[in-house]
Order: sequence, then C-alpha cells, then structure tokens
Amino acid sequence: MSYALYRHGGPGLRLATYAGLALFVVWSAAPVVWLVLSSLLQQKALIARPPDLSPQNLTLDNFIIVVGSAAALGRGILNSLVVALFSTAVALALGAPAAYALARLSVPRADAIAFLVLATQMLPSIAIAIPLFLVISRLGLIDNVLTLGVVYLSFNLPIVIWILRGFFLGIPAGLEKAAAIDGAGVLRTFWHIVLPISIPPLGAAAVFAFVEAWNEFFFALILTRQSAQTVPLVIAAFAGQYQTVFGQMMAAALISVVPVIVLAIVFRDWIVRGFADGMMKG
Amino acid sequence: MTSVPHRAEPNRSVPAIELRRVAKSFGTVQVCRDVDLAIRQGEFVTLLGPSGCGKTTTLNMVAGLEDCTDGDILLAGRRVNELSPVERDVAMVFQNYALYPHMTVAENIGFTLRMRRVPRAEIEARVAAIAASLELSHVLGRLPAQLSGGQQQRVAIGRALVREPRIFLFDEPFSNLDAALRVKMRAEVKQLHQRLGVTSLFVTHDQEEAMSISDRIAVMNRGRVEQFGTPEEIYARPATRYVASFIGSPQIELMSGVVEVRDGRPTVPLGSARLTLPEEAGVRPGQRVEVGVRPEHVRLGGESLSATVRLVQPVGPATHVVLDWDGGSLTTTLPGFSRLRPGETVTAGIDPRDVLVFDQETGLRL
Repeated sequence: MSYALYRHGGPGLRLATYAGLALFVVWSAAPVVWLVLSSLLQQKALIARPPDLSPQNLTLDNFIIVVGSAAALGRGILNSLVVALFSTAVALALGAPAAYALARLSVPRADAIAFLVLATQMLPSIAIAIPLFLVISRLGLIDNVLTLGVVYLSFNLPIVIWILRGFFLGIPAGLEKAAAIDGAGVLRTFWHIVLPISIPPLGAAAVFAFVEAWNEFFFALILTRQSAQTVPLVIAAFAGQYQTVFGQMMAAALISVVPVIVLAIVFRDWIVRGFADGMMKG
Repeated sequence: MTSVPHRAEPNRSVPAIELRRVAKSFGTVQVCRDVDLAIRQGEFVTLLGPSGCGKTTTLNMVAGLEDCTDGDILLAGRRVNELSPVERDVAMVFQNYALYPHMTVAENIGFTLRMRRVPRAEIEARVAAIAASLELSHVLGRLPAQLSGGQQQRVAIGRALVREPRIFLFDEPFSNLDAALRVKMRAEVKQLHQRLGVTSLFVTHDQEEAMSISDRIAVMNRGRVEQFGTPEEIYARPATRYVASFIGSPQIELMSGVVEVRDGRPTVPLGSARLTLPEEAGVRPGQRVEVGVRPEHVRLGGESLSATVRLVQPVGPATHVVLDWDGGSLTTTLPGFSRLRPGETVTAGIDPRDVLVFDQETGLRL
C-alpha cells in the first residue's frame, strides 16, 4: 500500500492497517514473551495444564542454575561468537569484492554467475550433510570451531554477495568515472569510494550473516562433539533423556539471544537502510 | 575567484585534442561515426546536440572512460587510445557533480592529489588555494549533502582545477542548476577559461549555453559532427537544415517550396506571397528547396506578405509575435513590449539576403 493511499484512505482503511500491524506484532512477539515467561517460571508451574502464571511461581532459579553451571553455556557462547564472527568477517571480506566485480566490472556472464552463486543455496541441507561429514571427518576436522566457521562461510558468502550486489548495482556510475579521472584504479576506487558509501548494506549483510551463524543448529550438531559445541546445542542439551528442564532451557536461550538482540538494536538503522537500498537499487 | 594556478605555456602549433574518424558502437548500435575534430590549444569548444546524439560518448572517449571502436584520439599530438584517464592528464566535471558523498569538500578536492601521492602539506596548501579562488573556504569541512547546488558545482570544478590538467572536460555541468544559477556558473566558467587558458571541451544540449560560452561549437546529430565552427558561423551560416533548426530561439521557420524565376530573380511562392531568394544560393528553376527565416529577420511593415497576428509572447527585452498567412506561419521578434493584439492584420517583409535556402533532399544549405 502506498503512503499516499494510506494517507487519503478513510478511517476504515486506517483501522484495518492498525489491526493488521497489531496482529503482526503479537505474532512476532508472542514467542519472545513466552520465552521470557517460561524462563521465569518454576518447572511445575510451567508443565501444569494450563500453565500456572500466578506471581508466586515466578523465580530466578532457572537463571541462577544456568549461570551457575556456566562452563557449558559460556563455552557455547564463546564458540558461537568465534564461529559467527569468523564466518561473517570472511564472508564480507570475500563477498564485497566479489559482489562489486559481478555488479560493476565487465565480468562476462555476470548475471549467470550471480545466479549460480545463489543456486548453491537451493540444495537442501541434508543433501550436503553426509558428504560434508565424510570429508570433514576423514580430514580429522570434526569438533573444530574453525571447521564450523568455514562451513557457515559457505552458506553466508552467497547471501552476502547477493545483498551487496543489489546495492552496488545502484551506485551512480559517475562516482567511479570521477575516481578514474582522479587517478584511482579499480582497487583504490573500491577501497576509497565504494566501501565507505556502502557501510549500511555492509552492516545489514554482516548482521544477517552473524545471526545465521549464531542460530545454526543442524550442521553444528553433526560436525561437533563437545569442545566446539555452539549455543543452540548447549540449549538443546537441557532436553535430557529422561527429563526436559524447560525453565533452564528457556533461561539459557534468553541469555543466548541477548548478543543478537543487542546487535540488531545497535545496527537497526544500517539494517533497514541496507536492505532498503538493496531492494530499491538492485 | 581570484588566484590562478600556474601553467606552462602550451605548444600552440599542435592541436590540443584531435579526433580522427572516431567511431563507437555498443553492440550493434553505432553511437558515433567518423567524428573528426581538431581543437586548438587553449580553445573552448562545445559539443552540442540533442540527447542520444553521441556527444557525451565522444567526451568519454576523449577522457578515456570509453574505448573507441575505430579511429584515433590524439592529445597534444600523441595517440592516447590505449591510455587510461589518469595517463591522459585530463580533468572532468560531471553532470551530477559526482562528488564523493562520504568525503568533506576538502577531501573531495584533494582526493586526486592523494591518489598521486602528493605530500599531505602540499595537498592542504593547494586545496586551500583552490577553495579560496572558488569562494569555498568556509565550507571545506562540510559534506557535499550540506552544500547548495551551486556550491556542489564549484567543488566539482575545484576538484578538476586542483590538478592543473592540460585539458578540462565538462559533461553538461549546469543541467541540474536552476536557470539563474546556470547563467551565473556559465559566466564563471567562461571567466575561468579566459584566465587559465586551459583547453576545454564542453558538452551541452542547450544551444544558448553553447553560443554564449564557446570559441567554437561542434553540432552533433546521430553520432556525426554536422558542423564545426564559431558561434557566428553556426548561427548565420548553418551548414545544414538540422543545424539551422537546432540553433536559435525561437526556432527558425522552415518552409518548403519550388524555385521559380520572376523578373530574373529566384523566388519561392508560399501561398499568396512570394519570397525572393539570395542570388548566391545558386538555385535553379523547378528545384525543391526549404527556405528558412529567423525571427529577427522578419520586419513588420515590409511588403513581402500580409498576415494575421496569432500569438504575442512578451519575454521582457523582446516580444515574439507569431504571424499566420495563407502560405504558413512565421515568427518575428520585436524589441521591448509590443502593442500588437491577436487577430490584427499586419504586413511583413524579409530581406532576400537573410533567407537561408536548403536543398530539400540533402538538407544541405545552398
């Protein structure tokens, strides 16, 4: 709906818009609210039917226990940070020049190459899981944080290339021409002109890649054992063979999403501008 | 604008810019063909033409931003087809200014020196001098987005000036400015050229701009140079019908007819009127021609034709009056404000020496 239509629409349209937005907020926020609530409830209140939400059942015990047995969660968070930062940094370092080349340089069949890059993401995870596991285990690289980082890089790189390519396509050609006249070659144009004006999309791509790596579960499950376990695996470990400690699981989950939420809040403007630029100019 | 960068005296015997049968194609689309131009040292030349005529492509080829498909480009007598823009020692001002949005004015102007690894202290000194000459000293710390259109244009010019290049290239630099600022910037660029004497190649679609600023104008049409000459030559003696109709505002009136000889003089009947042609046109009886009359050459009160006033358009210093008669319509330009009213009947006269005659088939002036 265009802004003009929204402004000139009647009160009915405005009401419907607000109702739709409210529904969307509830839909998006409900799992988070439930996550917070469950992390603060005692186990018996949580598993009661219906759950007993009375205030006397609220407790911080779950957090105290999770933080008390901090070794596993702390290691998980550290591993997740290393994996996510590594795959994000390398995806940006490789993806930005690749995207620039595919967008602005005279690369033959650039569109086809860009499509092939994206096509690598169309395979279902399970199709590559077994060969990937076999290769990595024969190389003796199972349960290695950097192995996981490289695997995540292979997922993040195509996405980063696509986000940035959309933005680079929209950069006015005049800037590059001016840089060429001013004496900058391709690399210096990229470094001094293109990258500094691409900070919003770079930020958006970075947040996207970081969150993808932070939340990934499936490949972390099959490629790690103990020392390289990431946050999602640590959280899942609260579901034991005989008992699932929901409250502690939720408390651990809540602690683990804090970095991602902080990241999203800090880089909110970049994310919105970055994706909007990519969409409009791509 | 006060200070003048020092320049060595150029060798005036060699053209500063020479294009020899230059052609450019994008795939199957031929944008420029057989472009021949020789621009003298220190000359201000404008490539003039409508959108898509190949003028910007020609400029880009001179700059080294586009390769030419055929032909040779020489700068100061040296073939530069394979040289990069920086090796050609040209500076360019772009249509949309192309200022780097994340850099301050000082960084924008100094960027080209930074790329040439000029010492920081020298960069600062040269940027300060250029900024002072362009009245930009007070905005050196601002970003381009914080400047007015005119200031942005000055920064773009400053960026070109700071290098002290051999050649200035301008790609429709004023097209984004409002009318008043455009006229002001035009005067500033002309004064700048008069002071520095740097060879300049300027692209525009605005014929008035081209006339007012240029030593010579190359009128381009469909990738070719139709005429290359001084503003006076282009206006008074257009080589083709296209050039005649492109130059001049209001436009020249073009009327088709067949040559007849009356009283030993070549004429063209147009409705009940009969236009006498200049002897030197060399036309023959029965030849199909187009005659062109510029508004300032139509005199009210003459005896060539009787017409009705259709439209009176005062523009301040002059009034354009459109006249209808049974042979077509004509526009005349009268000084100041006219008291004529639509519907009035007037007579008009045209001096045969002022009539331009074109061959109807070839479009060439006879």
